[in-house]
Amino acid sequence: MVVPLALLGVWFAVSAGGAISISILPPPQRVATAAWEFFFGDSRVTLPGVVPFVGSGGLHIGASVVRCLVSFALAIVVGVIVGLGLGLSRWVSDLLDPLVNALRAVPLYAWLPIALVWFGIGETAARVLIFIGALWPVLIATADGVGRVPRGHIETARMLGTPGRRLWRRVYLPSALPEIVTGLRLSLTLAWMCVIVGELTGTTTGVGAMMNAARESGRIDQIVVGMLVFAVIGLIADLLLRMIARPFIRWSQT
Amino acid sequence: MGTAALRASGVRKSFGTVHVLGGIDVTVVPGETYALLGPSGCGKSTLLRIMAGFAEADAGTVEIDGKPVSGPSPQRGMVAQAGGLFPWLSLRDNLAFGPRETGRLSGSAIDAEVTELMVRTGLDGFGDALPRTLSGGMRQRAAIAQVLANRPPVLLLDEPFGALDAQTRLRMHEWLRELLAEQPTTTMLVTHDVDEALLLGDRLGLMSARPAKVVEETVIPFGADRGRHTLADPEFVALKSRVLERVLTG
Ligand SMILES: Nc1ncnc2c1ncn2[C@@H]1O[C@H](COP(=O)(O)OP(=O)(O)OP(=O)(O)O)[C@@H](O)[C@H]1O
Ligand SMILES: [Mg+2]
Repeated sequence: MVVPLALLGVWFAVSAGGAISISILPPPQRVATAAWEFFFGDSRVTLPGVVPFVGSGGLHIGASVVRCLVSFALAIVVGVIVGLGLGLSRWVSDLLDPLVNALRAVPLYAWLPIALVWFGIGETAARVLIFIGALWPVLIATADGVGRVPRGHIETARMLGTPGRRLWRRVYLPSALPEIVTGLRLSLTLAWMCVIVGELTGTTTGVGAMMNAARESGRIDQIVVGMLVFAVIGLIADLLLRMIARPFIRWSQT
Repeated sequence: MGTAALRASGVRKSFGTVHVLGGIDVTVVPGETYALLGPSGCGKSTLLRIMAGFAEADAGTVEIDGKPVSGPSPQRGMVAQAGGLFPWLSLRDNLAFGPRETGRLSGSAIDAEVTELMVRTGLDGFGDALPRTLSGGMRQRAAIAQVLANRPPVLLLDEPFGALDAQTRLRMHEWLRELLAEQPTTTMLVTHDVDEALLLGDRLGLMSARPAKVVEETVIPFGADRGRHTLADPEFVALKSRVLERVLTG
């Protein structure tokens, strides 16, 4: 808590002293006012094609969170299934490993133009970009975790009567779960970070869209509000995920 | 349920240039506990893994009631040297794992049987505990109970108490004797602990160093009533020193 408070103090002092122009970094109270407007202001006028700011905190955060969660959920499903395939099957990994490694080396921004060409401006492109950003950590963690399952567990299960086709559910998945959860945390963080990239595709709702509009109208205070919202929600999301996962991976914690 | 005869004939196994098993012949009659004693590294675990179906012999066969084994099966329960509990399952779920997988019993019957098994193995009250929170002795008892929950006709034990201290091990020997008396099971116990072999076995086989063979078999002359008092029995002491002598001279 000390460092953030100290930084806030410095920010106060610097902007009060007039050392920095308001159009570069507005003082904290300006940002606080903007935040207040964002959440509690009276949202009257909505013009088509204009991204609202006043009183639209709930709208933008809701849109970003839904976008993020939909894509994150899809990334979990695809990541775990493909990860299991890569970890469990020789021929799947021979087939897909080079492709996965190549695709995951492509930076998210490099997907932006092609996503716009393929899916046009708007929602689908945003979700696809967030999905791509969130996919790799959970996929790689699942494949790695499954590859590291001790042989002895497999043998014990076989000996106790588990048929080969059920091993993934009885042994591989639970044994790899701690690593998968680590991957999920990273995926969720990335999904949330990719929301802003996704919302550069021209969506009219979402925190990223709001920040983009604020940049066009030169409202630094509103941009800073957006950054704070991203930080706080990112922290809350990671905390929630850890809380949900804890009972399932307690066995592996020391 | 029931028991079965276990027979290995001419079992050979090499790893690269290391000739581990040099033709193992051994027969365990139904309900008998056969203790196989051999020096460290002679291939005891290798032999049990072949009997369990985890590994294949280069030559020779393993048969249960005359049928050759291929691959692991709930009919041959094996407790490995390091125990087999799943760390992510509670004790109760570990014990119920086999019956659930084989579908031998219905849900409520499994619950009842697991509860009874926990009482018999002195693990009553620890049903919700995770394996890592149990003591070493409890873990080994649980690993044996996990396998016995399937009522396998054949039980394969690979130094099940090797990692325990001497007193705990002695208690485990008394416990296992009682358990096997209640649930007669054809048992192959491999160990390098002479006391363990003599306290638990109905018959004793001695394994030579690599390439290993069974070089001598003896009927162990003590009755069902064996325990810590047996250790001081002059007949036990005499047999033990004879066996030790034989093991040490190869
Ligand atoms: N998978 C394997 N690959 C190569 N060598 C092996 C393998 N398994 C066992 N061996 C070798 O076979 C020999 C016998 O090993 P094994 O584990 O069967 O001995 P053991 O009698 O059980 O020993 P211990 O009493 O120490 O448990 C050893 O020399 C070991 O190095
Ligand atoms: Mg061994």
